[in-house]
Amino acid sequence: MDELLSAGSRRWRPTGVVKWAFLICVGLFFLVPMLAMARFAFQAVPMALLTPDKFFTGWSVSGLGAALTDPDILTAAKNSLMLVVLAIILNLVLLVPLSIITEVRNPALRPYLTALTLLPWVIPPIALVVGVSATFRATVPWFLASIFSLVPFYALWAMPFTYRALDAGLQAINARTLYEAARSMGASLGTIIFKVLLPNMRASMVAAAALTAAMVLGEFVFASLLLKKTLPTEMVIYQRSDPRGGLGLALLVMILTALAIGLVVRTLRKRGLNVQTTGM
Amino acid sequence: MATVELIGIRKAFGPSVALEDFSLSINSGELVCLLGPSGCGKTTALRILAGFERPDGGSVEVDGRDLADDPPEKRQFGMVFQDYSLFPNMTARQNIDFGLKVQKRPAAERATIIERMIEVTGLQEQVDKYPHQMSGGQKQRVALARAIATSPKVLLLDEPLSALDAKVRETLRDEIRRLQLEIGVTTVFVTHDQHEALAIADRVGVMSNGRLEQLAPPQELYENPANEFVASFIGTVNKLPAVGTDDGRWQVLGRSVPASVTSSAGEANTAAVRPEQIALDPVPGGPAHVVSVSFLGPMTRVILQDDELGRVVADIISADATGLVPGQDVRARLRDDVSEAVLIGPR
Repeated sequence: MDELLSAGSRRWRPTGVVKWAFLICVGLFFLVPMLAMARFAFQAVPMALLTPDKFFTGWSVSGLGAALTDPDILTAAKNSLMLVVLAIILNLVLLVPLSIITEVRNPALRPYLTALTLLPWVIPPIALVVGVSATFRATVPWFLASIFSLVPFYALWAMPFTYRALDAGLQAINARTLYEAARSMGASLGTIIFKVLLPNMRASMVAAAALTAAMVLGEFVFASLLLKKTLPTEMVIYQRSDPRGGLGLALLVMILTALAIGLVVRTLRKRGLNVQTTGM
Repeated sequence: MATVELIGIRKAFGPSVALEDFSLSINSGELVCLLGPSGCGKTTALRILAGFERPDGGSVEVDGRDLADDPPEKRQFGMVFQDYSLFPNMTARQNIDFGLKVQKRPAAERATIIERMIEVTGLQEQVDKYPHQMSGGQKQRVALARAIATSPKVLLLDEPLSALDAKVRETLRDEIRRLQLEIGVTTVFVTHDQHEALAIADRVGVMSNGRLEQLAPPQELYENPANEFVASFIGTVNKLPAVGTDDGRWQVLGRSVPASVTSSAGEANTAAVRPEQIALDPVPGGPAHVVSVSFLGPMTRVILQDDELGRVVADIISADATGLVPGQDVRARLRDDVSEAVLIGPR
């Protein structure tokens, strides 16, 4: 027994200092590039002179102000927000019923669905765009010409994240047993889905939506290949004429996205929904 | 109240056979416990009865009607699960109300039933709490109230107490039995805990490898196990040699006793002897010596090492065991009040 105890006590466990050191390293890994980005965007100092001693010199948000009033940027922002909403709706409409039915009715299919939802990331975007464009051009060319043609691409591209968030949510609430409990009381599938499962999946649906939103707001390749005006494509164009203002805008979008997701998660946690269990 | 019949049920999951020719008949208002080790098929039998699994063969009948084509939602059974399975988005009251709403009962009737359920399960303080605000015992009470609120024909309990601590388990076990007797619902209770099964069941079905080894009232199961598996699984048992005598009786631990089977002289068999059926006589140089003495309150457990019989467990009334110490030489014998030997198979 004593030997076991001593063997156990010899096992290495990270101390508080080590944990903090890791945390600080990871924090710096994210913060240093963002700080550099902020200095370039908001300090009116030539880039070669952006040395540590000039840290407090020439800060200004005039470049960002100009970017925020640019009509093309505003149109692109509206487009992106609309795409976020539509991509979230399409994704949830497709994947929520699919993940529920798989979990409660046919759990043997789960591994296949997990693999299937990874496929969008196996196919390169260019191949996806060329293939889907050819199909749409031949059948519904007006759809390909509209900004809405990006919605299926975004829904498809976000599928690996969305499905995993929903699946984790179903596992966390032990959906299969809830389903069986409700069935034993005589409930129909519709009642079980709308009265039992969906209300308990709110946290995972919000997580899925937040991940989709973050992905759509940062997606460039599909929009660029299909020549659509979205916030990422417009920011690239804007940066060519005003690199500082463009970068300031990129930083702002990044921070606002993170804050929006954080706010939603905080609100849900205040309501007792455990968003952490869904992978967020 | 309903009678339940499972007739010749067979169920396999791939190459693994969970139930083989499993038959069980439950009387109306009876509480039957299915008891057995993990993987013996008891939960599969319950799930087939509930309609969550389809048997490969055999039939399930309730009140003489075959339920083969009835899905779980049409069977009018109540079920309580091991992990409570309360709906997290509903309070205790709403959970109890769920089945009643599904049955489209009038609001006034629902309210009356809910109040009654709350009263009989002692949930007055928890009625407006959500599952995450309740303890395990409270959650299982709500699950029980929810299952019986709809007046089910049959109540199915799948290891409902195994996630609870010992004290709560014991209290809730007695409450389940009290409620079951009060409402008189036919009940199937699955457990791997023999104390639980023996304490509350009208009859206990001991299962092993997908088969029902014995179905009998607790006392009969304990005193007359049908075979070696049942004898070993229920309580502690010593498997001791029984040798046939000229008069058709059996010589067990130095005494000649009758058994259900008449012996022929010299025939070898195995007797299942419970620890409390053994008495110890201190005999210097005796055939056994005491290995350990454990005080268990009214009884004291003595473990012996016998030269002929090997390890023997004896439970002695504590007042008679005061002089026993480890290392002491003793002789084990069958107590005078044991009138019959229980044979569990040839040696």
